[in-house]
Amino acid sequence: MAAVSDFIAIVGERNTITEGSELRTYEADGLPGFRVRPAVVVLPETTEQVAACVRLARALGMPIVPRGSGTGLSGGALPVEGCVVIGLSRMKAILEVDLPNRRMRVQPGVINLNISRHLAAAGYYYAPDPSSQSVCSIGGNVAENSGGAHCLKYGFTVNHAVGATIVTAEGDIVSVGAHGGEPDTLGYDLMGVFVGSEGLLGIVTEVLVRILRTPQATRTIFATFPTTDEAGAAVSSIISAGIVPAAIEMMDQLAIEAIVAATRVDWPLDVGAALLMDVDGVAAEVEHTADAAIAALRAAGAIEIRSPRDDGERALMWKGRKGAFAAMGRISPNYYVQDGVIPRKEIVAVLRDIARLASEAGLRVANVFHAGDGNLHPLILYDGRIPGQEALAERVGGEILKTCIRYGGSITGEHGVGFDKAAYMGDLFTEDDLATMQLVRCAFDRDVIFNPNKVFPTPRLCGDRPGIYHPHAAELAEVAGRG
Amino acid sequence: MTPSSVEELSDVVASCNRSGERIAIEGGNTLAGMGVPVRAPYAHLRTASLTAVVEDAPTDLVVAAQGGITLRNLATQLAAHGTHIPFDAPLAHQATLGGTLAAGWLGPRRHLYGRPRDYVIGSVAVLADGTIARAGGMVVKNVSGYDMSRLYVGAFGTLGIIAQANMKTTALPPHARIFIAPLPEGTRRRALASVVSLRIAPAAAFWVEGFHQSIDGEDGHEGRLIVLLEGSAALLERSTRDLRSALGRAGVPETQILDTGAREAFGRIVDAYVSCLGERSVTYRISAHGQSLVDRVLAARLLADRFELRADTLADAMNDDIILRVSDLDSHALGAKIAMFDDAFHDDEPGATVVAGAHPQRASLNVWGELPDAFDRMRALKARFDPNGTLNPGRFIGGI
Ligand SMILES: Cc1cc2nc3c(=O)[nH]c(=O)nc-3n(C[C@H](O)[C@H](O)[C@H](O)COP(=O)(O)OP(=O)(O)OC[C@H]3O[C@@H](n4cnc5c(N)ncnc54)[C@H](O)[C@@H]3O)c2cc1C
Repeated sequence: MAAVSDFIAIVGERNTITEGSELRTYEADGLPGFRVRPAVVVLPETTEQVAACVRLARALGMPIVPRGSGTGLSGGALPVEGCVVIGLSRMKAILEVDLPNRRMRVQPGVINLNISRHLAAAGYYYAPDPSSQSVCSIGGNVAENSGGAHCLKYGFTVNHAVGATIVTAEGDIVSVGAHGGEPDTLGYDLMGVFVGSEGLLGIVTEVLVRILRTPQATRTIFATFPTTDEAGAAVSSIISAGIVPAAIEMMDQLAIEAIVAATRVDWPLDVGAALLMDVDGVAAEVEHTADAAIAALRAAGAIEIRSPRDDGERALMWKGRKGAFAAMGRISPNYYVQDGVIPRKEIVAVLRDIARLASEAGLRVANVFHAGDGNLHPLILYDGRIPGQEALAERVGGEILKTCIRYGGSITGEHGVGFDKAAYMGDLFTEDDLATMQLVRCAFDRDVIFNPNKVFPTPRLCGDRPGIYHPHAAELAEVAGRG
Repeated sequence: MTPSSVEELSDVVASCNRSGERIAIEGGNTLAGMGVPVRAPYAHLRTASLTAVVEDAPTDLVVAAQGGITLRNLATQLAAHGTHIPFDAPLAHQATLGGTLAAGWLGPRRHLYGRPRDYVIGSVAVLADGTIARAGGMVVKNVSGYDMSRLYVGAFGTLGIIAQANMKTTALPPHARIFIAPLPEGTRRRALASVVSLRIAPAAAFWVEGFHQSIDGEDGHEGRLIVLLEGSAALLERSTRDLRSALGRAGVPETQILDTGAREAFGRIVDAYVSCLGERSVTYRISAHGQSLVDRVLAARLLADRFELRADTLADAMNDDIILRVSDLDSHALGAKIAMFDDAFHDDEPGATVVAGAHPQRASLNVWGELPDAFDRMRALKARFDPNGTLNPGRFIGGI
């Protein structure tokens, strides 16, 4: 195939995959149930190679699907028919560490956790900590605006990835957002809109991240409750009192059972729910915040409140929480992760609705989620060997999303819309809202070559909007000429 | 034109867009000194009647309000349940929510609490063709579709009018305390370095020279240091001790402490960012990130001196921002020099932007500094959102 040899000419034979089991890896991402074979996979090693691949794909009329580690849960890196997958996993160099300015420049394939590991000895770290942080890439995090447990206090990827080098649909190399030391750059906030754009606006080939000093003190609090009602009420009361722990994670009884089975952490199995919280900062602040949080937990009806005995136990507790999805294997053959957001005052009501939806469908649902942000992760447990159960689980998942929308929430808090949820965008947004987002896409990629069938419910082309005047080239030139 | 509902706003804008009439969008006009004046002729569109608080959910720490509400009115409502949004924008009684966001205002406490844009969780924008576009929502975490609200923030109205903004709020710090100390030349570098590296970061820290009528404290022939501490009583006690001993080690003489009136004193500093001396001043902002703040302030003052301009400077040590106000005896005297000063200043500081000045020549200065690398993309966005150039034409960078 002519195309393949042209790609080989850019990235070399060892970085081009066209067949075999290696290609199979790239047929799917973390979204179960879908596989599409790409025409070719390339693994460029430099920004220039990425740009050359984009130009080639464009010339050949091939759609492009960017891919980091492939851990995305919404099918963002799922190939489309006849596409080239541009994988960034070979670009994993740490380019620059600038401690005085608290910045670090990295290639997109760098694994999230490796940033903090690289900085640990110097007393710094990178705050966003998705549960998948030991495997997901920073480029993927930027594309998804990934969150994590500690984003409650510290903010999401958008608050920490401050600049990037991107390869555009034309194959140009452009810098957006901050570069060098400049924290806030002039002009439209392209970085702000690029973060979370799910690989539709360009390929990130370098990321400039903020790094933080490791907190002076951290206190971990584990509290159990009779049911999710009391636990949910505790979360709402902490938030409404303006207390800001670094993290508030909630687990229901099924989730606790799975985590205990997987990690042997000594959590009680006879409780309805538990909260795992971190409070961090300078020592004086930690004491104050922890006392206020503990008082709120008590008032909400906590059965037991305890802190880990040592760093080892603390690490185990967090490992349990972060490994919760994988732990579901202990209690169910299969599971389907949902990701929705609700106002934090509605946690109790929505968890009840989810329990009702599950029992009506005859399925079990485990909940383990970022409670402080109102970001639910119901895990719908099913047995794929039983005909119809997978479809049923998906249907329950869809009902849960509609419940989130009904309570004034959103269809995704961190896993993205991707391929999986494009159909729900119309439930959340009007036609006008979606058309406005499309303006952004068209300004970046007018031929829709990046991730063509993702995020938006119906395929759209970037024609000029009907009834709208076209700018004269002369007018644009005049505009450009002004200082 | 002063529409009083989002629908009316949409109708007005759509009809201007159809008839080819350009629109200058006006909030409280407090930041009118930023950017180039809109290319005339144009119709005035005022957001002054869009002042509703659309949804107030204090227990969820979120609020939604229309773009024309003043920051003071919004703050009063939030303070009633102990919350706030740290905008730190000048003239809060006049500045509007929409205008402050559209101007991408960056205040002195952002190193600690984040920028106004970090509090935006959703928006309703009216585009040039009248489209009412919603984005985000009332939840604090959300990745459904592009984060459109980010585009309207800092766009000076050139992509769409912020008719409503949905914001996170945060607990109002219970206590505030201000320190004012003279900053003799020999102590400056050590004092500033020790303040920025305090383990409990101050909410704000400035080295001020001049601004006598507007900012508290006297500096005589020296500048002055002003530090704002915020937090719980315990935290404040601790950070007061740390600050005192750090300043003592740096050789800073006696400090004055303000507890009552600390917030008002801080407000006066923020107001000074855009304060004008009639038509005889122009104010610049530069970011000294990554380079010595002290050296750059001194270089700027020296340059002003060479042009025989008076310089008032306000250096925000926590964010490395520098505000430089140059002035002369009268508008004529300033007019004779300002263009040449502007050129010379931009040779040293290519990123310097003009943030205030009522002098007629302000508009012909290099108010935006150098264009960003991705300017072509920005122009492409403008062409998609506002192909006729209806909204604030010419106000933004590169004539957008
Ligand atoms: C067990 C498990 C736990 C998880 N926990 C969390 C969690 O706590 N929080 C959270 O937010 N997510 C979580 N995720 C989801 C996932 O890990 C994140 O979305 C992550 O950011 C994806 O990174 P990736 O490198 O795997 O990207 P991929 O899956 O390869 O790609 C994700 C999307 O980004 C695009 N993309 C990738 N790289 C680039 C690039 N360089 N330039 C442009 N576009 C690019 C792709 O086209 C795709 O649309 C979890 C996933 C798993 C499997």
